Amino acid sequence: MSRRTFLSRATASIVGGIGALMGIPTVAYLISPAKARGGLGVEAIPLGPISKVPIGEPTLFKATIERKTGWVTQAEELAFYVSTDDGRNFTAMSNVCTHLGCRVRWVDDEEEFFCPCHNAVFSKTGTVVSGPPPRALDQYELSVEDGQLFVVGKIEA
Amino acid sequence: MIEKVSAWFEERMGWKPIWKALALRNIPKVNWLYTLGSATLLVTVNQILTGILLTIYYVPSPQDAYNSVAFITNEITAGWLIRGLHHWGASAMVVLAGLHMLRVVFHGAYKFPREITWFTGLGLLAVTMAFGFTGYLLPWDQKAYWATTVGTRMLEVTPVIGDWLLRIARGGEELSAVTLTRFYGTHVWVLPSVLLILLGIHMFLVVRIGISAPPTAEEAAEEPDVEVEA
Repeated sequence: MSRRTFLSRATASIVGGIGALMGIPTVAYLISPAKARGGLGVEAIPLGPISKVPIGEPTLFKATIERKTGWVTQAEELAFYVSTDDGRNFTAMSNVCTHLGCRVRWVDDEEEFFCPCHNAVFSKTGTVVSGPPPRALDQYELSVEDGQLFVVGKIEA
Repeated sequence: MIEKVSAWFEERMGWKPIWKALALRNIPKVNWLYTLGSATLLVTVNQILTGILLTIYYVPSPQDAYNSVAFITNEITAGWLIRGLHHWGASAMVVLAGLHMLRVVFHGAYKFPREITWFTGLGLLAVTMAFGFTGYLLPWDQKAYWATTVGTRMLEVTPVIGDWLLRIARGGEELSAVTLTRFYGTHVWVLPSVLLILLGIHMFLVVRIGISAPPTAEEAAEEPDVEVEA
């Protein structure tokens, strides 16, 4: 190997080394916030008394939680539809359409959830009836203490 | 492989002459002191890249500045590294630029035909200092706040227009949100623009007229009116 070739290669290696040394942390730095996966952010979200839920009719509960995004802690409003068939067992589901994140609403006359953005329709239990959504509405785990409803976690489908 | 790729680009872009002018130019036989300019350039590139990365998370407002810096340092992956490189790079840039200037002074390299290189270099040193001063405020901690209070107060002792200068620098009577945003704007837009223009001229001249060889006693002896003890 000639002196010139050696020096060229040595220079290229050093430049490449510095590039990797800087490049890898840079990528990690840029994608860092994407690693955080949002759970509920709190142990349990209090919704309200079970007496507010009529049998056979999904009822919307709103709850405010403190969520830290970046360096800012903000109040975030979450909403859940709680249903019961017997007044003892309760199910909760998100009101966020699984298509593109609009809010669904319960249409009493039709007995279904309707999303106005792209005319998605979900059944009473959250399964897709028609429209573009890829999956049923997200279900949440509930616990009942002293007649009060608490959301304790998401049920992974 | 590399030859093929470079030939492909050469056919389409004709960059070989540029590469030759930049990287394969002849330089006089020099010593390690002549690498100070390149070192300053390397640190400058580091400052530009890490500075751009910091703006991804930094917010120049009194509510957010400190918290966003703390977020970068403590919570973002490698954030401590990126911020550290920018922080220490700033000091390194001032020191290296200063040493680079001293070398040029000691070797008399500022003389004809390199006056423009020299004066753009002086401008770059001033810009570097201004970068340091405006950047120091941005973390918006106690040290930054009081250092800038003192720094801007120095403007006030200027005869006649001192009070006016102070209020221009601070954007008002006191250090405020206005001071922070104008320092930020200066740090990330005004100074980089001036830096790139001056650096462009500086580097063009380094390539165009080349760098000076170290002065020798023989050379000085050739001058008729100079007496050299050798």
